Amino acid sequence: MPDIITVTNLKKVYNDFTAVDSINFVVHQGETFGILGPNGAGKTTTLEMMEGLKGITNGTVVLDGKDVSTQGREVKNVIGVQLQSSSFFDGLNLKELIETFAALYGKTVDAMELLREVQLDEKVKSRVKELSGGQKQRLSIAVALVNKPKVLFLDEPTTGLDPQARRNLWDLVNQIKGKGVTIILTTHYMEEAEVLCDRIAIMDNAKIIALDTPTGLLKLADVGTTIECHTDQPAPVAELQKLPGVQQATAENHGFTLKTRQPEVALPALFTFAQQQSIILHDVQVHQATLEDVFLKLTGRKLRE
Amino acid sequence: MTIRTLTIASLKMFVRNKQSLFFTLFMPFIFIGIFGLIGFDKPQTIDLGIVTRSPSAPTKAFVDSLGNISAFHVTAGTESEERAALQKGDRAVVLIVPDDLFPDPAAIPPGREGGAGQAPAAKTAPKAKDVTILKNVAYEQQAQTAITILTQLFDKTTLQVAKAPTLFNLDVQSINANKVRYIDFLLPGIVAMSIMQMAVFSVAFVFTDYKEKGILKRLLATPMKPLDFVASQVITRLLVAVTQSAVLLGFGALVFKSHIYGNPLLILLTVLLGGIMFLGLGFTISGLSKTTDAVPAIANIIVFPMLFLSGIFFPISSMPNWLQGVVTYLPLQPFAKAMRAIIGDGAGFNVIKGDLAWVAGWAIVLVALAVITFRWEEKRM
Repeated sequence: MPDIITVTNLKKVYNDFTAVDSINFVVHQGETFGILGPNGAGKTTTLEMMEGLKGITNGTVVLDGKDVSTQGREVKNVIGVQLQSSSFFDGLNLKELIETFAALYGKTVDAMELLREVQLDEKVKSRVKELSGGQKQRLSIAVALVNKPKVLFLDEPTTGLDPQARRNLWDLVNQIKGKGVTIILTTHYMEEAEVLCDRIAIMDNAKIIALDTPTGLLKLADVGTTIECHTDQPAPVAELQKLPGVQQATAENHGFTLKTRQPEVALPALFTFAQQQSIILHDVQVHQATLEDVFLKLTGRKLRE
Repeated sequence: MTIRTLTIASLKMFVRNKQSLFFTLFMPFIFIGIFGLIGFDKPQTIDLGIVTRSPSAPTKAFVDSLGNISAFHVTAGTESEERAALQKGDRAVVLIVPDDLFPDPAAIPPGREGGAGQAPAAKTAPKAKDVTILKNVAYEQQAQTAITILTQLFDKTTLQVAKAPTLFNLDVQSINANKVRYIDFLLPGIVAMSIMQMAVFSVAFVFTDYKEKGILKRLLATPMKPLDFVASQVITRLLVAVTQSAVLLGFGALVFKSHIYGNPLLILLTVLLGGIMFLGLGFTISGLSKTTDAVPAIANIIVFPMLFLSGIFFPISSMPNWLQGVVTYLPLQPFAKAMRAIIGDGAGFNVIKGDLAWVAGWAIVLVALAVITFRWEEKRM
């Protein structure tokens, strides 16, 4: 897929504070690109510079062949934007709201069709303040789609939503992606990035510290798989350590954990060893490494501290 | 097309917003209603009590003629009744008229007047009659006015009786007949005030709210020209200003029979100019307010003094001189003055151009301030 966005040496400085520090990346057409990182990492500032909402201190953003700094209006014509705190006029119902926004692009839209797409067609006569959190986010996406954008920006679309509403929104994002729209989203939910994104940039302290596919990131961080067992007797850590595929064995309360990069080798060896030694294994759990582990490995901190 | 759609949308929002409707129509209606019904015209009549016992016919005619003087509200009674009423504060003055204030011609024997034998008597002036006036010191001003009127009345009668030649003919012409009633004074000022309230509060609240909620930022994420959006908001409110002026003037004319003179186009021009001036103030306040909580505080500090000091409810000529010197130049004063001149007196452009120049000057200053202070979003850091 060709690149639709090229970000080069993008930098944002407020007085003596650097919010975004010379980052580079490209976004491929039709992919869902995630920017993952803790609060204050510079995700929103990056997004708003790409959307033409914030001045760029240094560097360039070229979107669909247009330079954001000099062709802001042309860029805004081909993108759809959902801001982090999305509020809309309280005095209009959803249909009027969508039609008003379409007018800002000089277009007329079928508001009902758009509302149906985000499952809000029953709320067509409602006001924004009568909507739930998840419905507001879906409306905000519908409004972002009025100009049939090539690129859709979603800034923390699921923050503050309950798990059900979050899954609902994920479905919607995938459905939009299915129509060929390039999606760029920020999130601080690991799971969300793993489920939605084709590629993920991990941002921390104004810099991109890693950029790859979710599996690539896991591999890059070299975290591997964790096997956790409870036993009825003290764990023979020294012997477990020698099992094939096991990198590291650690004794825990009532059991042990094994780190491995080859769970398909380590697990059968573990079971054979346990049978030979008559060790009873309770609660065998296998944890795939997550982006949380990747972040911890890369920064030495947990993501949501 | 964008401006038109935005204007229609914001008109819908304006009409659906109860707060802006309150400031635009409800509050001025209440002001007109209350002050129109109280009728400050009435205190201008002076309560005059008249005490007579059994007056002669000419004396009675004189007493009756007092009742025709519009400045007086005349009550007749016995002396003790009238004294009591005076003490209660129901009378400004009480006039005690002797029965023979004017002698009854019927009682004068025929032939006596002009008779040769009486000739010397005609040369001596008749003895002055005592007329007692009881004055209520609590109503000093009204009492003084009453005494002046009565003194003139007696002087004139004296001159007539003395057959003195009339040296002066006072020709009083009613130049200012248009503006006799308080409601006529009040209504144009209330219209000006309501435009101020509407423009300042609707812009300051709505734009600060849009800014605070990130709505302005969301609009900037579209290819819309920011000026188009501002223009649609300004057009919306100018349409509202014209409509509310028409509604309020119509209400005054229908309910209080207030007279509306003047060229409607000149009224329209003044309303638009005043509207732009106060929209500038509204945007400036919105620029200065970080949150909607700050809006009423900032707006009221500016608007409230103007409300009472700009000659809306009472003429600024009743204020101390130093204060007049200040309030004459507040934005609302020349606006209200021009409105009153056009609507109340039918003044033409030349009469009010000085006031309009002040309004235009303020409009330029306030719009410039708005441009300087207004931000589409709060700066972070």
